[in-house]
Amino acid sequence: MRIIKQRPMDWVERLYIFEALRGLFTTLKHAARGLFRYETLPTISYPEGQPEVRNTYRAKHRLMLRPDGTPRCVACGMCAAACPAHCIFIEATASDDPRIEKKVKRFDIDHLTCVFCGLCAEACPVDALRMDTKKISFMHRTREDFVAHLEDLTNWDPKDYPDDEQSQVAPGGKKNAEALEVWGMEVK
Amino acid sequence: MSNYYNMPKLPTENSPKVEIFVDDKPVMVPGDTNLLEALKAVGIETPHVCYHPYLPVSGNCRQCLVEQEGPRGRMLVIACYTPVAPGMKIYTPASSARVKNARKATQEFMLVNHPLDCPICDKAGECTLQENYMEAGQNESRMRPEYGKNYHGNPAHQFIDAKGQLRGGKHVDLGPRVLLDEERCVQCDRCVRFMRSIAKDEQLQLAGRADHTYITTFPGEKLDHEYDLCVTDVCPVGAMTAKYFRFQKRVWLLSHTPTVSMDDSLGANIWLDYADGHIYRVMPRCNPEVNRSWLSNTSRLAFQNFDKNRLPSMDVHKVTLGKGKVALVAGGSCTMEDLAALRMFKETLGDRAELFGGSLLKVGKPDGIAMSGDPVANRAGLKLMGFADVSEFMKRASEFESLITVNANLFGEDPAAAKVLEKINTRVAISPFDDETVKKATIAIGVRHWSEVQGTMVNSLNILQKLNACPVCPDENLWAPYAVLSYMAGTKFECACEAFKKVGEYVPALAGLTYDAIKSTGKLLEGGEA
Repeated sequence: MRIIKQRPMDWVERLYIFEALRGLFTTLKHAARGLFRYETLPTISYPEGQPEVRNTYRAKHRLMLRPDGTPRCVACGMCAAACPAHCIFIEATASDDPRIEKKVKRFDIDHLTCVFCGLCAEACPVDALRMDTKKISFMHRTREDFVAHLEDLTNWDPKDYPDDEQSQVAPGGKKNAEALEVWGMEVK
Repeated sequence: MSNYYNMPKLPTENSPKVEIFVDDKPVMVPGDTNLLEALKAVGIETPHVCYHPYLPVSGNCRQCLVEQEGPRGRMLVIACYTPVAPGMKIYTPASSARVKNARKATQEFMLVNHPLDCPICDKAGECTLQENYMEAGQNESRMRPEYGKNYHGNPAHQFIDAKGQLRGGKHVDLGPRVLLDEERCVQCDRCVRFMRSIAKDEQLQLAGRADHTYITTFPGEKLDHEYDLCVTDVCPVGAMTAKYFRFQKRVWLLSHTPTVSMDDSLGANIWLDYADGHIYRVMPRCNPEVNRSWLSNTSRLAFQNFDKNRLPSMDVHKVTLGKGKVALVAGGSCTMEDLAALRMFKETLGDRAELFGGSLLKVGKPDGIAMSGDPVANRAGLKLMGFADVSEFMKRASEFESLITVNANLFGEDPAAAKVLEKINTRVAISPFDDETVKKATIAIGVRHWSEVQGTMVNSLNILQKLNACPVCPDENLWAPYAVLSYMAGTKFECACEAFKKVGEYVPALAGLTYDAIKSTGKLLEGGEA
C-alpha cells in the first residue's frame, strides 16, 4: 500500500480567484481547439468516426469453420462451463461425418448477458470460439435479437481476416482448396 | 460359466474387526474383506479402474497398488485382490514414495493410448480415469505428438480421420442400446465380467491379445440383454455409451434426485438425473440389499414416457357418488401416502366402499438382478394397508355402482375387463396419464407422477423405501394423488409428511416413523427376510 499525501495549497491557490480563472482558460482552450483544430482532439465523434479496434480486443464472438464449412465446435460445453455470466447455451447431436463424433446443434450467446471476459475463447479446446471480429457495437430492436445464433456466429468472411491462416482455411479463404484436399472431402 | 474370478467379499456391519498397520499406524478395519474395501472403511480411498464391488475381482488394471511388508521386504501388491490379515503392514502413498510412483506410472501407461476425447466424451465428469488422474497421476505428457496414439482396437473398425491419422472404431454399434468406442476402452473387462457373472449371458468378449485386445460381441451377435445398459454404468471410461443419452447433456449439468423405481415390486433404487425441468437419464443407486448397482432397461428407460401423454391440471372437485357400492382401486405405483389417503376417503364413504389394489398385468418371475417381475410396485404396502387384490374386484365388479381408480390403468391392462367395467355407472380416474382408463372415465383428475412426489413404498423384501420428488413436473399446479384423495375425504394433506403420519395410524409397524428416520437405503420392516 502506498500513502499519497496531498500537497497543501499555497497562498495563491487559497486565494481561489486565480485558480478559477485557470480552470476557465482550460475550458476555453479546448473549446477553441474543437472549433479550429478539430483533428488534434484525442476523442472521436463516434457514430461517424469509428475507433480502431485491434484483433486482440474481446469483441463479438465468431465460430471458426472447418474446410467444408461446418463449425469446428464439438459442443463440449467447456465455454458454457467457463462462462461466468451463463450466457452460452449449447445443444449437441451426433455428427453426419463418420470421422467426427459430435457436432453442435444449437449455439446461442446472449450478448445482453455476456460480460466479454474472453474466458469462453480461452476454454475452447479446439480453437473454435474466437472474439476477434472487432465488432464492438450491438444495436438491435428486440432483446431476442441480441442472442447470436449458430448461423450468425459462423457467418463471417475470410477476407476480413487476411493475416489469420486458420480463417483462410474456411470456405472462401485462400487456403480452402488445399485444406479441403487434406481434409479429403468434397464440397457440399 | 467360468468361476475363476472371485467375487469380492464386502464388509458388513457384522464384520470382525482386525488390527492392521497402515503407514505404521494401527487401525481397526473389517477383517473379512479385501484391502481396498478395508481401507475405504477407514476413509482411505484407493484409485482403481477394474475393481467393482459387485463384480468378480479381475485385478488387471494394477492401479490400486499398495506396499505390503512381507518376508522378503516391502512388496507392491494390488489392494483389490489382497485379503485383509490381522497385523499386516500396509503402506499407502501417504508414506511410501514407491507406491506413489508406481501408481503414477500405471496411470501414465493407461493414458498413453487413451485418446484425448474428454470434450466429446459422455463420461467426462464422472470418468474413473479422470478421477484417478487427479488422485494418482498428474503427469506431464511425455508422448511426442508425431507418435500419436497406438491403440486402435478392432482392425475392422479402423479409419483415417480428418487429420490423416489412423484411428480406432469410434462408434461401433454393439446392439440396439449400446455404442462402443474402441479407442477409449482400457480393457478393464468390467463389462465382460458383468455380462458373464451378473447377466449370465456372455455376449461380450475380449478378443485379441496384449495391446491388440478389444471388446467385441460374437460374430453376427448383438448385445441385447435386458441389463445391457448396465455395462455403460460399469464402464470406467466412456467406451460404452448408451444411445439414449449420447450427447444429450454434459453430466456436470445434471442434478440428482434419489428415489425408487415404481414399476417393479423390488423397488430398484435409482437416481433421477434432471436438468432444466427434464429427466435426462436414470442411474442405479447402490443399495446392497435391493438392486446393488444394477438396473433393468425397463426401469431405466421408463423415464422417457414420464412427461408424455400427461393430463393437465384442473380444479379438483369433490365428486358426488351415487348411493350404491363404491370400489376404490389403487394401482401398483401408489405410494403408502396415496393408500392412506384412499383409505381415509373410504372411511368417509362408510361401509358401502371397498378397497382394492394391484393390477391386471401378469406377475413374472424374479430375475435375481434388479427385477422381481411383479408390476405392482407397492404390493407389500397394499397388503399392510389392508387392500384386497384387484382380482377380487374383477369377480364382483357387477355389484358396484361407482369405481374410483388411482394410478390404475385397468382398462388398458386388460381389454377384456373393460367390457365388464364399462357397465359401472360412475367411473372416476385419478391418473397422471391420459390412458385408456381416463378415456373411458366419466370424471378424470390429473395428478403428479410417482417421480414427482415424495412418499414411501414397501418393496417385495419388506423394506420401506423413500421416494423423493424430482422437480420436473410439467404442470406446477398438479396435485399429488394423496392430496386429491385427502381433499375428497375432507381434510387435505398439505405435505407428504402429514400423509405419512396417517400411514402410521393405519399401519402399527410404521407408527412414529418420520422421513428422516428412513435411511437412503430404506428401512427393513419386521418380518422381512432381506
